[in-house]
Amino acid sequence: MEQSEKIGKLKQKLKELNAEYAKIKEIKAERRAEFGRQLNEAKQKVLAEIKKAEQDLINKESKPIDITAWSGVNEPLPEFYPATLGSKHPLMAELDRVTGIYQMMGFDVVESRQLDDEFHMFDSLNFVKEHPARDGYDTFRTEEGLIPPAHTSTMQHRVLKSYKHKLEEGEAIAVVVPGRVYRNEDVDATHEHTFYQCEGVYVSKDCTMGDMLGILREFFEKYYEQKLNIRTQPGYFPFTEPSLEFMIEKPKSLGGKKGDFLEMLGCGMIHPNVLKMAGIDPLKYHGFAWGGGIDRLVMLRYGLGDVRHFESGNLNFLREF
Amino acid sequence: MKISLNWLRKYVDINIPNEELIRLIGARLVEVEGVIDETSKYDKIYVARVEKAEKIPDTHLTLCQINVGTASDSLVQVVCGAPNVREGMLVAWIAPGAIVPASVKEDAPFVIGKRKMLKKYESSGMLAGADELDFGDDHSGIVEIDPKEAKPGDLLADVFNLKDLILEIENKSLTHRPDCFGIIGFAREVAGIMGQKFNDPDFLFKEDTFKDLVLKQTKTGLESEDQKIDIEVSDSKICPRYSAAVLKIKDATEKEKYLTSMQVLLAKSGMNSISKIVDITNYIMLLTGQPLHAFDFDKFVKVGKNSSPKIAVRLAKNGEKMILLDDEEVELNENDIVIASGDTPVALAGAMGGKNTMVDDETKQILLESASFSLYNLRKTQMAHGIFSEAITRFTKGVPCGGTFNVLAEASKEIGGKPVAVKDYYMEPNLQPIVKITTKEINSLLGTNYDEKLIMDTLKNVGFEVQNDKSELTVIPKYWRTDIHIKEDIIEEVGRLLGYDNIIPTLPLHGTADINSMFALKHKIRDLMDKLGANELLTYSFVSGKLLEKANQDQSNSYKIVNSISPELQYVRQSIVPSLLDKAFLNEKLPVEQFAIYEMNKVYRKEWGRDEEDVPVEKNSLGFIIAERKKKETAYYAAKKYVARLLGEIGIVPEFLPLKNSNATLRPFDSNRSAEIVLKNKTIGVVGEFKNSVRASFKLAEYLAGFELDLDAVLQSAKLKKEIRPFSKKSEDITITTDTSYEETLKKVQKEHPGARIEPGTIYQGIGQKTKNMTFHLEFVE
Repeated sequence: MEQSEKIGKLKQKLKELNAEYAKIKEIKAERRAEFGRQLNEAKQKVLAEIKKAEQDLINKESKPIDITAWSGVNEPLPEFYPATLGSKHPLMAELDRVTGIYQMMGFDVVESRQLDDEFHMFDSLNFVKEHPARDGYDTFRTEEGLIPPAHTSTMQHRVLKSYKHKLEEGEAIAVVVPGRVYRNEDVDATHEHTFYQCEGVYVSKDCTMGDMLGILREFFEKYYEQKLNIRTQPGYFPFTEPSLEFMIEKPKSLGGKKGDFLEMLGCGMIHPNVLKMAGIDPLKYHGFAWGGGIDRLVMLRYGLGDVRHFESGNLNFLREF
Repeated sequence: MKISLNWLRKYVDINIPNEELIRLIGARLVEVEGVIDETSKYDKIYVARVEKAEKIPDTHLTLCQINVGTASDSLVQVVCGAPNVREGMLVAWIAPGAIVPASVKEDAPFVIGKRKMLKKYESSGMLAGADELDFGDDHSGIVEIDPKEAKPGDLLADVFNLKDLILEIENKSLTHRPDCFGIIGFAREVAGIMGQKFNDPDFLFKEDTFKDLVLKQTKTGLESEDQKIDIEVSDSKICPRYSAAVLKIKDATEKEKYLTSMQVLLAKSGMNSISKIVDITNYIMLLTGQPLHAFDFDKFVKVGKNSSPKIAVRLAKNGEKMILLDDEEVELNENDIVIASGDTPVALAGAMGGKNTMVDDETKQILLESASFSLYNLRKTQMAHGIFSEAITRFTKGVPCGGTFNVLAEASKEIGGKPVAVKDYYMEPNLQPIVKITTKEINSLLGTNYDEKLIMDTLKNVGFEVQNDKSELTVIPKYWRTDIHIKEDIIEEVGRLLGYDNIIPTLPLHGTADINSMFALKHKIRDLMDKLGANELLTYSFVSGKLLEKANQDQSNSYKIVNSISPELQYVRQSIVPSLLDKAFLNEKLPVEQFAIYEMNKVYRKEWGRDEEDVPVEKNSLGFIIAERKKKETAYYAAKKYVARLLGEIGIVPEFLPLKNSNATLRPFDSNRSAEIVLKNKTIGVVGEFKNSVRASFKLAEYLAGFELDLDAVLQSAKLKKEIRPFSKKSEDITITTDTSYEETLKKVQKEHPGARIEPGTIYQGIGQKTKNMTFHLEFVE
């Protein structure tokens, strides 16, 4: 404690010295050089003292405390902060809500990995080697060639493999995969290199694209608590065929008007090669999969304009939630 | 990509309203990013004839009297600054009150009025140059209109079919459809989605342009007999087909005297008019999706230093240099494909031609190239040299080999020169796959009930050959459909062309879901911490080497990102607490006076090795920091209170033992003022204050503590319910004077009051005293 008080005093002294510089104008011209020299000398001395004191503070052996106790000696018992200060991260709260709805609809939840390999990220998803589509994902790589995944589809192969037994038992595979994903791109108000997605995988003996559209519509109707018009647009992903972009008519709660459509996610019927690679016979089973961003849902919900807030750690922002 | 609807209409009969057409394109072909409405952009712009043109002395201006036909009863006076204005020419006159087309997009569009020039010459409207009409950036003079095409008083928009909508197409979703990067291919799809049969132009299937030449088949492809060009391709993977023709031409770089529809179409598609030959090659590319390039053939032969001309297609040597058409010297790498004459590179294949074989005024013969190159190589070339031309955009989608020769013939015809030599290198003609599929397979994947005839017609409309034998359909795609391989590709065609929106959404029945216990745990923690006034943070998974150092962690234990955005994001983090210390600094500076922040996320360390899938072992971790800028008490106890409550919520009562380990989680913590959190002899986390050096390096105030929990270990011992305590009947506080630790004193109290629930009270120590007074709060229950 004394050490930090000492530093405080030294810093005060430094402040005073800095203030002295203003006086230089009042000094006669011939004496100015000397005045400046002396002031600099004094300042350097104080700076050195501060540095030493700070170093001492760092090197100082800390005082052991009784780690078994619940308060310090002669100190009051600590208190929790009031609930009014508390907050959940909006992305996590949203993810809880999204997965909650899917669970209600009968989907298991499997969290996505944050460090994966080329096989799961691309090979198992029917990306031809050197295919430009691989570049399109702007992936990061580690020295070992591992990949912080650029989409939650990196879990598709694992999910298919680990839930395959359900098909054999005559049931369907129904899983959603929320998780953090990464893209090597410059950050601005609408782009983050780190963001969240939620993937969905469904496989059964006789599911159809109609089922896919039905499930997705059902989810968004539960999510926005209203009936919704949906639209689709042809898309292209190597791991689904056919591939679609899925849109909903902008909900009333978001100020939507008739004819305003929002692109919500990419989806499609799982490519037979993807099923095959997971040991599922594409002649016997069909599947569909989809994936969409979570950050955007939160931005729409609260009308946020800057995605950079989410990972900023700024409590002025986070305590709003 | 920009698509002019008027151009499209030349190939397909569109009989639905534009709005509906655009909706259909969006729903069944590709995303339409925007629509540029040019239906009134050329209003009040007329064809006029200059009847009289007099130079205004001492200026560059000309005083013109123009005949504007029915637009005015008498001649109109206009002052014109263009050097090419002359009596008798037909011009485009922007009448007073009209907006200059090039300024339509600007914030304040320029409206032409009546002006007085040089204080005395009335000038009514203006005579327009190509740039003012938004037909490219040619500013050299006013446009001249062919008197065979128009007469004074005609609306320019009628003469050149300018009342148009331009669609802005999102290229990305056509990555696998090179055929759609030409008007013909796009029109074919538009016909398909409207349920019409598309009529392909004949030239896509046969050529009749080179009939004066005797062509023969050789081992490497087709060639003309009399005059030969050699083509040598080092590897047919980088260039599966190369078709070339030599044409004798006149006035190679001359521009058309009159404004042409072709120039207008180029402009509407986002390209500039350059010269007659370049314009034709670009026009054919926009039409067919096949890029073309014209070399000066005599220069080509000369730089090759060979007696007989040889086109060599090969990979560049590392460090090989060449000067491109834009005068830039590029250093090539071994991934770039070059076209060489003999040994000398004359083009960076697919990207740009070389300066050394540029077509100019002197050009007498051109060598016209129509080829297909490896999209993988060109993709890298595009990135390495930053060339994003219309041509390379098409090449990187994989130009189909089947069409190069036919397009070459069509372009040669359009250019109009006399063909002297032809060569078509095509080593391994692609076999079109045949797909067999049943209507049941189509309907069972889509969830539809389309009948066989509808399916067959739908496919035939866009050029598929379809036969039905008994129960099966045999579908054969045309050469331009390089994306068709399997049944699902055909199912996509049917679903898409008939409209995914016509598929009725249904809900399948399936089982109920299992609970993800880690997710449930995190959910529970989130609820609790919110109640306890803590704030949940998310911070990046990647940290700087400096941050690891500041937290006393070893960089070599972190996976390192080789292509990180910045040094700030170079290492995969080993624990959560260091990221939070970083954010604590930010918040103390804001300033936020007091805060408890936490994050639950995944962490990785090299020392943990790989799991059974051979990917790095992954752990879920919870980091927590409590900090206040002005508080003087021992922060350790606050952090301990939070972690004890958190674990208590899931029925875990751990021991707090002195630090024994020094793993990455523990390394920032001060062993004098921290405890390992131990459960059944297993360390599940750490709580405490930080080493002075750590706190100083993060520049944080003195009141600072935190904890980090291994959530996977916590989950193993978590109970679904916390213990609900019975009501107390009686309570009392006792104070004991002692010189031992809290734990030991507590044990004594427990012995004396078996069955009592004991809560800690305050600890008091007088100045100079060795003993402390510890207070305990006892509650007795039944």
